[in-house]
Amino acid sequence: MTHPEAVPDKSNILGQVLAQRERVASRLAHVKRVIAVMSGKGGVGKSALTANLAAALAMQGKAVGVVDADLNGASAAAMLGARGQKLEIAPDGVRPAIGVCDVRVMSMDLFLPDDDTPVRWQHPGGLAADAFVWRGSMEANALREFISDTEWGELDYLLLDLPPGADRFDTVARLVPQLADPSTGGALVVTIPSQVSHLVVRRAIVAAREAGAHLIGLIENMAGYVSESGDVIGELFPNGRGAAFADQVGVPHLGQVPFDPRLARETDAGRPFVLEHADSAAGRAILAIAAAF
Amino acid sequence: MKFICQADNTVMEFVENIASENGGSMAITFKCPTCGSGIAMVTNPGETQMVRSLGVTIGHEVLAAAPEPMTMIRSALSGQARPLAAPDAPEPVWSEAALKRLAAAPTFVQGMVRRLYTDYASQRGYAEITPAIMNEAREALGMSGM
Repeated sequence: MTHPEAVPDKSNILGQVLAQRERVASRLAHVKRVIAVMSGKGGVGKSALTANLAAALAMQGKAVGVVDADLNGASAAAMLGARGQKLEIAPDGVRPAIGVCDVRVMSMDLFLPDDDTPVRWQHPGGLAADAFVWRGSMEANALREFISDTEWGELDYLLLDLPPGADRFDTVARLVPQLADPSTGGALVVTIPSQVSHLVVRRAIVAAREAGAHLIGLIENMAGYVSESGDVIGELFPNGRGAAFADQVGVPHLGQVPFDPRLARETDAGRPFVLEHADSAAGRAILAIAAAF
Repeated sequence: MKFICQADNTVMEFVENIASENGGSMAITFKCPTCGSGIAMVTNPGETQMVRSLGVTIGHEVLAAAPEPMTMIRSALSGQARPLAAPDAPEPVWSEAALKRLAAAPTFVQGMVRRLYTDYASQRGYAEITPAIMNEAREALGMSGM
């Protein structure tokens, strides 16, 4: 018996996977720059910064989209005032939700029926105990569909709000080759001025480099505490030294955003802080960072 | 993966892919085009789920048309995904008074607010968006100040 290598595989799994990749590439051909906002550490304000950077770019007249890649901790729709919108099937994909300043948003939050429903993937045949085997693949493909199947239209910027940790970045980098080229995108790294955050973020930077990403710069969030009246109150974390840390890890230091109580409050309410407080210390910092990329 | 009929060294042809009632298994059947012998490959739940998680189909010719958008997300979210609106459902019309009121909102929220009111009216079968509908939506959605 001879080995029938030449006979085509009618399932053509490879062909289907390549077609999936082509749809991603075709969609991203209409996006000038793709920016992944990442941090190895959780709780550094990455999503709030993403929402405010998106609003800041839109304030400059740019067409902006946001992919909420944190599937299990989806918050972009809420922070951009786009919750509750019904997604529609359009001729070329699914229409994104529209947030403030016409920022286009795609998030798992828009698929879930209510606030008490977490993301639960189907596991037929009693597979709950083995769900860890295939959950990663499921989530990677969900992210792929968010990018390829959303009718983004022509965008100047597509921001990817990544979940905490470095493990998802490799998936994103393979899916979005634009992140490796400074002319088409890159990654923003967010940290806070704490030694523990620097430790975790340092490793995430190494992982991002190994995945081939162009690192646009480091943003130090919660760098100092500013009152609502604009008075500098002090430091939240001792000895942050964000610029020095950026220098150590070989990433440009894009800036420091002070903690302003209004930023969390207003962004939580779906009104990105920068829209109405552009003249505040935090607002000026965010606008300056947005202008840098 | 291919299946070879050992009797006549022929690649067996795909016949059909049958899912079990609970969706945890697939029975993929093949038949030899020469001698008619058949086999069935039955996947266990783990194997079925791996295929589903890749967003591919087994045993079919490559589809000429692109699949439905976000098929994997919608089908795999444990029966809980919100349905997507039909592509050609007519949108409610905005009355002049409603448009005037919309124009009074801050510019940076007009697009978003317009979409929220349109979705609200559309979901409830209203053909026209009027200031009264906008008031109703504001109360229902907690949209103070818009």
